[in-house]
Amino acid sequence: MRSHWQVTWSVWHALFMREVLARTTGDRLGWFWMLGEPVAFIVIMVGIRSLIGRTGGIIGADYIPWLIVGITAFFLFRESVIRAINAIEANQALFAYRQVKPIDPVLVRSALEGLLKTTVLMILMAMSTLLDYDMLPADPLGAMLVWLSMWLLGLGGGLVVSVGARLVPDIGHVIKMLMLPMFIMSGAIFPIQSIPHAFQRYLLYNPVLHGLELLRADFFTGYTAVQGVSFEYLWHWNLALLALGLALHLRFAARLKAK
Amino acid sequence: MIEVNKVYKRYHTHNHQSTGWVLRGVDFRLPKGLSLGLIGGNGVGKSTLLRLIGGMDYPDRGKIVRNCRVSWPIGLAGGFQGTMTGRQNVKFVARIHGNTRRIDEVIAFVQDFAEIGKAFDEPIKTYSSGMRSRLAFGLSLAFDFDLYLSDEATATGDASFKAKAKRAFNDRVGKASIIMVSHSEGILRDLCQAGVWLRNGEAIWFDDIAEALKAYGESVKKPPLRKAG
Repeated sequence: MRSHWQVTWSVWHALFMREVLARTTGDRLGWFWMLGEPVAFIVIMVGIRSLIGRTGGIIGADYIPWLIVGITAFFLFRESVIRAINAIEANQALFAYRQVKPIDPVLVRSALEGLLKTTVLMILMAMSTLLDYDMLPADPLGAMLVWLSMWLLGLGGGLVVSVGARLVPDIGHVIKMLMLPMFIMSGAIFPIQSIPHAFQRYLLYNPVLHGLELLRADFFTGYTAVQGVSFEYLWHWNLALLALGLALHLRFAARLKAK
Repeated sequence: MIEVNKVYKRYHTHNHQSTGWVLRGVDFRLPKGLSLGLIGGNGVGKSTLLRLIGGMDYPDRGKIVRNCRVSWPIGLAGGFQGTMTGRQNVKFVARIHGNTRRIDEVIAFVQDFAEIGKAFDEPIKTYSSGMRSRLAFGLSLAFDFDLYLSDEATATGDASFKAKAKRAFNDRVGKASIIMVSHSEGILRDLCQAGVWLRNGEAIWFDDIAEALKAYGESVKKPPLRKAG
């Protein structure tokens, strides 16, 4: 008889291999868009900026590195959540094997997204360093910690959303819709500093904004993050979402499997 | 080896309304080395019971105890991911069951047993039901389970495949046993010793499969007549 952990590990390994295959062979240009999407966004944003004629940069950071950090970190969070929406449905047939639990594909997908997005960040960092931008993190350990926290935020969100969307499919649509305003309000492409202080107060309820700003502060020495961001606040969200997500999976395991 | 303790099961619709009880207090013990045939009409819960024994689903009340290596329910419903090829599905199942080191061995065995040729590298959704059952049955035989669960696993295979499946299974008598749902009396008589007749959500145990088939057959021959209108 194998131990619980051995069984779980085999399941994760098997699902991981399956997901890697599905991700890379599923859509024809799958590989290309992983890097293509953030690069396209950067090109578009730089284009818009020079059209408006605003050349004054962000205080303490170059615009392009600032943008790269924000966009990749936001995508890390977004993809973890979005991929979780269909994680259970896409693997429904595999629940015939009692070793596979509904939470497994969610965890595995999130881990895979984390690896892919980390690779994307590395590539973009290398590229911009070659182009002579100052893109190496000033505080590498701090940056890694915040990056990891952002991934956990995505995982927590993904755990909650995967159950929610499976039980009430409309939740999946709403989450996908919300991601666009989230993209803007998290300060991924527009600096939140330029927004009046009175509004910043409300935007600060969004934990993703905290994550992005903290990450930038760790990357660029002279950069001052939006006032009021805190690592602690981000982790309150992390812990709350992870706990809620795990609880939901525990509570609805049978229903998710049988559906 | 398997204990089914007063198991109740019902399903729910999307509006959270429950359907009636499918299984109502099913209760039996299957000793080691004995193969069991599950019989009964359509929709009485044979597949449901098999899914519960396989751990694919959970009972609403009662308990199922598995003291041995039990396969998944082998049959047409589920078990394969349609977008993955036969080979990928086989790899997946081999990995789940902790056979990562002898994965090539498993693939070779299944490929040889299923005899589906080039289709092995095509997505499962393109398979005919016969090809699926060949793959499913071959795959289950690649692992040493103590108890196999078969939900009409060979029903859609052709005559030569059925003979092969039966031979393969007879080779394992003594090492493994089977719980089998089937509407074909021949295979039940060949492979099973005991029988359970599911009727109105309850299980009636027979020590001899022949008696179970006889009792079930008689109940079918004399349907309760009801006048129309």
